[in-house]
Amino acid sequence: MSTHHHHAKDFLFTYIFSTDHKMISKQFLVTGFLMGFLGLIMSTLFRLQLGWPGESFEMIEMLMGSWQEGGVMSPDKYLALVTMHGTIMVFFLLTAGLSGTFSNLLIPLQIGARDMASGFLNMLSYWFFFISCMLMLASLFVEGGAASAGWTIYPPLSALPEAIPGSGAGMTLWLVSMSIFIVSSLLGSLNYIVTIFNLRTKGMSMTRLPLTIWAFLLTAILGVLSFPVLLAAALLLVFDRSFGTSFYLSDIYIGGQVLDHTGGSPILFEHLFWFLGHPEVYIVLLPALGITSEIISTMSRKPIFGYRAMIGSMMAIAFLSFIVWGHHMFLTGMNPFLGSVFTFTTLLIAIPSAVKVFNYLTTLWKGNIVFTPATMFSVGLVSTFISGGVTGLILGNSALDINVHDTYFVVGHFHIVMGLSAIFGMFAGVYHWFPKLFGRMMNNKLGNIHFWITIVCAYGVFFPMHFLGFAGVPRRYYTNSEFPMFNEMIDINVFISICAIIALVGQLVFFFNFVYSAFRGPRAPQNPWKGNTLEWTAPVEHFHGNWYGEIPAVYRWPYDYSKVNAAGEYVYGEDYIPQTTPLGDDEKDGGEH
Amino acid sequence: MTTVTVENINYKEEIRRKTSKPLMWMGIVSIIMFFGGLTSAVIVSQGGGSFLSIEMPFSFTISTFVIILSSLAFHVGLISINKGSYTIAKISVLITLLLGCLFVVTQYMGWVALYESGVYATGNQSTQESSFIYLLTALHVVHLIGGLVSLIVVLVKTMKQKYSLDNSLGMQVSITYWHFLGGLWIFLFFFLRYTIA
Repeated sequence: MSTHHHHAKDFLFTYIFSTDHKMISKQFLVTGFLMGFLGLIMSTLFRLQLGWPGESFEMIEMLMGSWQEGGVMSPDKYLALVTMHGTIMVFFLLTAGLSGTFSNLLIPLQIGARDMASGFLNMLSYWFFFISCMLMLASLFVEGGAASAGWTIYPPLSALPEAIPGSGAGMTLWLVSMSIFIVSSLLGSLNYIVTIFNLRTKGMSMTRLPLTIWAFLLTAILGVLSFPVLLAAALLLVFDRSFGTSFYLSDIYIGGQVLDHTGGSPILFEHLFWFLGHPEVYIVLLPALGITSEIISTMSRKPIFGYRAMIGSMMAIAFLSFIVWGHHMFLTGMNPFLGSVFTFTTLLIAIPSAVKVFNYLTTLWKGNIVFTPATMFSVGLVSTFISGGVTGLILGNSALDINVHDTYFVVGHFHIVMGLSAIFGMFAGVYHWFPKLFGRMMNNKLGNIHFWITIVCAYGVFFPMHFLGFAGVPRRYYTNSEFPMFNEMIDINVFISICAIIALVGQLVFFFNFVYSAFRGPRAPQNPWKGNTLEWTAPVEHFHGNWYGEIPAVYRWPYDYSKVNAAGEYVYGEDYIPQTTPLGDDEKDGGEH
Repeated sequence: MTTVTVENINYKEEIRRKTSKPLMWMGIVSIIMFFGGLTSAVIVSQGGGSFLSIEMPFSFTISTFVIILSSLAFHVGLISINKGSYTIAKISVLITLLLGCLFVVTQYMGWVALYESGVYATGNQSTQESSFIYLLTALHVVHLIGGLVSLIVVLVKTMKQKYSLDNSLGMQVSITYWHFLGGLWIFLFFFLRYTIA
């Protein structure tokens, strides 16, 4: 009885309420992916409506019941699914799922620490995240359905419970869920920052940090500075909804009745929301860029090109992300001069972004590239970062933006540059660090199939959206077939929807590979990719504390790949030199110059 | 997968020693951004030009003096711990706690005074500026309640003589937060005075 009790307690604190960063990382990964998969299914469902408007799908009716009576999605359910898809993908998959997984896994292991600054806060961070996931999913089943004002929840739709069906209990749950999510994110972020600044091992100077860690650090700083502002915005919204204040509301008529609210402005909400919202783009993107830097250098067996330029450009992107939020609001009646200031700051982001792309390509150039699924997804990220970034130049320019604002052009742009880039970075990270997460290897062949289905279908979905946008097709509309001028576009919508369905099937390949490999994959060697960073010096098996005995000291930067001497031979007989190898007499540290 | 525990390495205490204060500082940064968002909202709303002037209750001025005194008392407590004078330390922390409670009372008196002069937090007679004045001060009190809880913990530990010259980390973290709350109130007091009042 007592042994059984002891085992139950062990199980509880090892797998459920663990304070070990590696277990918390796996918890974030699995929860994030499950949420992401639900978000993906939601998008496929509303793509059915957009591709074949008004058509009945019996199978869908069977699965969805009253959500699709007669097999046809109703307009309010469509809006709820669009809102929930955006919310889940942006926050639950690409913010918590991505940062939570890799910051937790890699920060202590790559800087040489035994755990996070506070294991307890780290555990709380996960459980707050879990609770917020449950509340968000629960909102699908309340009367009136889930929140339907779009993931940006602009008032008045979000502020007046009587506005549309999704403005009621669903919206309330959205706000509660997001408030808890913000607390989770803040607990995680302050833990990551303090860990990186205070718990680095001997010799691990800031210029010897892997670029993953720099990316996670800047992401966490963005989170600490921007999420509290969203919390403030949400709080004012809660007061407007429930306590009769008028921060965002003024002169509103509903059903012919004038409401009491006076003096407020929904534009205030937009300012507060986008002050978080734009840094949020980089909270999602920077970890993926850091992961890609690491994988591209390791897999092309070359030092990263422009290590300091990479750090500088990430810093520049992080800084600029705080002074560009107005480019989401060009149509709010903004003073044209102010619009031109936001245009200027927005276009400046192209410079550090271009530096990063240049450095990725020059790192790959003439490299001895090892083509793993992680490499493929990393290169895929470089591709989407370019093709999505280029359209950002159009949207960042106020004169051009007003022509395509709130059309499918915007949907195409941000899905490619933010959504695809971030999820490609996340997939790359999972394939690359799977041996570290589960002690086993994933199947490369299935990984490559997953990559090709994903990249072809993803471009198939989002690239044609630019043409829809140029034609003026507005985003978030339930059906476009009511408008004669958009009838010609229906074939493009059918094509997009077919690509979306195939993309969904492609992800099943990944999930099979992931689950099968976690239990049955071949056992991983300690350093399967011959990497230089510290995590590969830790034992394959997981235990709290990471290293037996002393934590290894660091003597060099992490990118000494294919380093040759004057005779053209590898310096230490191998094409990689781990960070734990002391510098030779005539060697210089790569991070120092 | 094998689960091994590194029992022989006592790293948790070292991590706590290195990170407790920085964690508090990062927490403070996030609270600053939270109030930064709200005070920016006041300024943006004021841009509409419809802001009315509200007279600040006198008890808010008393709050300001109370919270400054409480910070001084807490500091005396820390100095006394470093000098090994536990009796003075206990009295100082107790005075800090009482002044903290008095601060909450003076805030409450301020809200009553506002209400009685026709300044409402919500409802159709409220205005943006009246809602903001209640919201900002109430949210400060919410954060201050966290500080009061930490003060109770510090008081108990001081009474049990758990702190010493070499071991006063918990007290230092608590005092950092308390000073911050004082600074935050002084900022809010002048901010409200010059924007709304």
